[in-house]
Amino acid sequence: MPVQTIFLALLALPWLSALAIALLPKKIQATVSIVLAGIFTYLAFQVGHQPEGSISYPWFNLGGKTISAHFWLTKSAQLLLLLVSIIALLVQIFSKSYLAEDPKIGRYYTYLHLFIGSMSLLVLTDQTYLFYGAWELVGACSYLLISFWHQKESAIKAAKKAFLLNRIGDIALLFGLLGLSNYFGTSLFSEMHGAAPALIGMAVIMGGIGKSAQFPLMSWLPDAMEGPTPASALIHAATMVAAGVFVGIRVFPFIGEEAHLFMGGIGAISLVAGAFMALFQNDIKKALAYSTISQLGLMWLGMGSSASMFHLYTHGIFKAGLFLTAGSVIHYLHHQKATHDLDAQSLNLMGGLRKQLPLSFLAYVVFGAGMLGIPFSSGFYSKENIAGFLWQSAEHSVYANYYYVLLAALGLGMVLTASYMCRQTYLIFLGQNRGGNTLEKGHTEWLQILPISLLIFLSLFVWISMNPMDSEHSVFMAFFHLENYHIPGFWLGITAGSWIAGLGITYLTRRSVPKTNVQFLGFLWPAMYRLAWYLGQKAHRFDARIVDRIVVKFTELQVIIAHMSAWTDRHLVDGSVSLLASISQSLGARLRTWQSAQLHRYWFWVFFTVVFILIYLLY
Amino acid sequence: MGNLSYIILLPLIASLVVGFGKLGATYSRLVAIGVIGIQLLLLAKIALVFDTTQVGFQLAESHDWIHLNLGSLGQFVSKYAIGVDGLSLGLILLTGLVSFVALWNSEDIKEKLAGYYALVLLLNASLMGCFLARDMFLFYIFFEFMLLPMYFLIGIWGGPRKNYASLKFFIYTLVGSLFILIVMLGIALAYMDPYETAISLQKLGVNQGFGIEALQSMQTALAAHEIAPNQIVHSFDLQALSDANNCQPNNLFSPQSGFLLGGLSGRAWGFWLLFIGFAIKLPLVPLHTWLPDAHVEAPTPISVLLAGVLLKIGAYGWLRMAIPFFPNEALEASSIMAGLGVLSIIYGAYNALAMSDLKKLVAYSSVSHMGFVLLGIASFTPEGWQGAIFQLLSHGILSSLLFLMVGVLYHRTGNRQIDNFSGLASKMPKYTLISGIAIFASLGLPGFSGFIGEFFSLMGAFTSTHLTPIYAILGSLGILLGAGYLLWTFQKIFLGSYFVRETSWDLPDLSTLELISLFGLGILSIIFGIFPGIIFELSEIFVTNSLNNLFR
Repeated sequence: MPVQTIFLALLALPWLSALAIALLPKKIQATVSIVLAGIFTYLAFQVGHQPEGSISYPWFNLGGKTISAHFWLTKSAQLLLLLVSIIALLVQIFSKSYLAEDPKIGRYYTYLHLFIGSMSLLVLTDQTYLFYGAWELVGACSYLLISFWHQKESAIKAAKKAFLLNRIGDIALLFGLLGLSNYFGTSLFSEMHGAAPALIGMAVIMGGIGKSAQFPLMSWLPDAMEGPTPASALIHAATMVAAGVFVGIRVFPFIGEEAHLFMGGIGAISLVAGAFMALFQNDIKKALAYSTISQLGLMWLGMGSSASMFHLYTHGIFKAGLFLTAGSVIHYLHHQKATHDLDAQSLNLMGGLRKQLPLSFLAYVVFGAGMLGIPFSSGFYSKENIAGFLWQSAEHSVYANYYYVLLAALGLGMVLTASYMCRQTYLIFLGQNRGGNTLEKGHTEWLQILPISLLIFLSLFVWISMNPMDSEHSVFMAFFHLENYHIPGFWLGITAGSWIAGLGITYLTRRSVPKTNVQFLGFLWPAMYRLAWYLGQKAHRFDARIVDRIVVKFTELQVIIAHMSAWTDRHLVDGSVSLLASISQSLGARLRTWQSAQLHRYWFWVFFTVVFILIYLLY
Repeated sequence: MGNLSYIILLPLIASLVVGFGKLGATYSRLVAIGVIGIQLLLLAKIALVFDTTQVGFQLAESHDWIHLNLGSLGQFVSKYAIGVDGLSLGLILLTGLVSFVALWNSEDIKEKLAGYYALVLLLNASLMGCFLARDMFLFYIFFEFMLLPMYFLIGIWGGPRKNYASLKFFIYTLVGSLFILIVMLGIALAYMDPYETAISLQKLGVNQGFGIEALQSMQTALAAHEIAPNQIVHSFDLQALSDANNCQPNNLFSPQSGFLLGGLSGRAWGFWLLFIGFAIKLPLVPLHTWLPDAHVEAPTPISVLLAGVLLKIGAYGWLRMAIPFFPNEALEASSIMAGLGVLSIIYGAYNALAMSDLKKLVAYSSVSHMGFVLLGIASFTPEGWQGAIFQLLSHGILSSLLFLMVGVLYHRTGNRQIDNFSGLASKMPKYTLISGIAIFASLGLPGFSGFIGEFFSLMGAFTSTHLTPIYAILGSLGILLGAGYLLWTFQKIFLGSYFVRETSWDLPDLSTLELISLFGLGILSIIFGIFPGIIFELSEIFVTNSLNNLFR
């Protein structure tokens, strides 16, 4: 097949799939969906090994210019497309078992395909406005999936919050992208060269804050965990939230160093804050959500360079794995015969599950190793690469000190990451069970085992490089144009120190389990919501009491004037022509009708008088 | 008589037949729907023969109508002149479509049916007349005439406060038309119709073409006082009025006149009076308070017509008259216009946020969405104007959809309070689906028509050389607030656990009749959202030509 055809098929397939699944009978929806996702993955692989290039289809004319739908197949786009398609496929397989009892599973699969369609559009498009469009669409898919269980009050609130906080970022992105198009005189990313003013670059980056749940718009992501867990794995862990990083990657070459540093600064705050907050979560999914925020902050620390892209990929694999594993744990606990009601997501009630769920334990450890960046995991390379990027950038920059601060933040983040990850693993799988129920031997279904095993496999080092300590000769990185950034050997010591510190903290605090979920900047959203509501009430009151009242009063004044003129007409003018009694009588009869509340007659009077006066005055 | 005349005449005659023919309820409905159906076919035919590459009016018709000798003031000519161009084509198509949808969903109307259908047909005819007129006097007559059916449609078939609402609507619009009338008479008396004057002075044989040289020679003659005032033929021809060179020298509407009143020149006064006259119709904050009242009291199909078509005449008037007549004055006012647009966007959105009545919420959302139209126009860029025109059509479809959505609920329960409903998704899945589409389309989700209109209006305002970017940035707050009140509404009514205030309320899902019209509009919105070129192509020449010629 020619590339154009494959490409068009790739773009169109998810939308058609969504439509097909929505119309198909219930029984086969899940199976068909998985098959279609498989075809999509195949197409993504076909596109994935093409050389870089661009493809365009004419779309519409505006202001004398032809606007084409322009697509740009870069290496980063190909890599992200592969990530999206693989995880989407595995998540769909997992969901077939996880959501088997849900009667609305067809709707769920429809939404997933809509998401895949929007996400691949976002990844592949070369145009600022198509990019913005796709950006909004992935947000809407996220809304639909969070509120999938729409009877659940907390889920719909979380969905609305996610959409609105995202939209705050979207507005910044909109003007950032418009500013870029305006500044470079083209709407194509591929034709932008040079350095845009810092303000425009920062606006684009601010756009990513909402989507990537970075500081200060982060609180929607933990709430978004109200959605089905496999969907969270795809959207709120591996891919959609990474769109905020991807926009940084797209604009990296032409937004200037100030905007890069802005991105890095936001990332550093989110990395540390997210990792810190992950320690104080009681809910397994919320803990993972804060961990996602933290890891996305790490990618932001890469400032959109290829180091960001690299970590985006490796993180996508192991974070999706963590979510699916957490999902299988929740699924297992949920299906135990409970002697008393039990929150299947509470870390308080877990513990000791290594005996029942050995595979999940193994998976958690492997994926956790990725998070920590331990050698033999792919996370090791990408994390070192980000540190290397910061180190190397500092060498040639006037902002060198700023880079070193970011590097220090990375070190602190690593300690915190190591501690929350070890802690979580400990709380779930080690020690004694705190749930109080007798647990059966876990028999996780193969539809759940298969995707998790594949993700374990994918998160190993062998895919990147055969040398577990060095990615210098990596074929993978060379193929996807991922650069190798080096950092002197002392950094490895710091990394190792962070693992030890993390383990130490875990050991010291192993007995204290958080009772609740602590929200970072939790006041922000209610305050914003209340402000909007308050302003709305004020505006309404102003509208009813002032704007409307003025007009009504003014009209009433006219009625009074009209009554006066009618009175004058009847008593003075009429009286003077009393000779013509018959005419006066008929007029009187008519005038009486005018006195009824039929305002418009008065208005006709006023209206024609003004017209006559005007004609008289003008000529 | 060409096709265009039939488009006006057909509903006009049908309205007489329905109104006085004593056809009975069923036949009144059938005739009304049938006639609008035929009208839609005619419109489709016009759309097919319409040449999108041609500048100016097409399928033009012109018949002598009024000749008036004013003695020393010269002569007055008004013609029955109609035609269609890129701006009006989209709007007449919209009018036909929305009228059809409104009639289709008129099942709720139970009393005085013949009168109702006759008035809707009359309204349709006058709306079509408004959009097709090439003569300002003819436009004005249709514009005024529109009030009559609308007044009675709200006043007779409306809700409990119908008298107040219909009167308010009437007075507001009348004040607006008063302003328009003043300018119309003033400018017509000030301007010469070069073609008619040339004929009257026998400078031109009847069959001789009237080229650009002839036009210029007439204009130089006028400027040199070679044409005596009593020889001048005045007309209401839109094209003649759009050329400032046709103005008599020393007249207060002449660009050279030193006339100043309150710091504004005669032309600026002309612009602002026209602007305000049409702004009431749009409606622009702070002239909008008639709209929520009218909507709340009007029956569903009339709300659909009101929001779907009537509001568009305001923007149409700006694009067709206020700006072409006084282009430089308009350009000078671009910042104020953009400011007013932004005010409408934000103010309307905040008010919508505070509404507990679903219909009022939709009405205020109209105010907010029409603000984008003004913002786009004020940018004076091709993107902004295209965005504004697109927004007109898109809002026509989406507001119809939203009001029908409200109508579905009101039809079943007689109630529209948002708090009285919750979790309808489990009971009415089809209704929820289409409402979800309507709401996401209205909050400007890409893939739906609402996005294109708002996006290009904002883009025009942002990139315009006449405006600072702050207007676009403030305007975009409307997107955020819009998402806020629309999602809040959706969540409140459709999501959550099922609840209705009165247990006696029965909420069956959509009937086939409702399904067809609602999903038809929804699909239309998606088509225009994905292929905006369909609409952009219609207005492309109009926009580029207007912007190039007006501001030479």
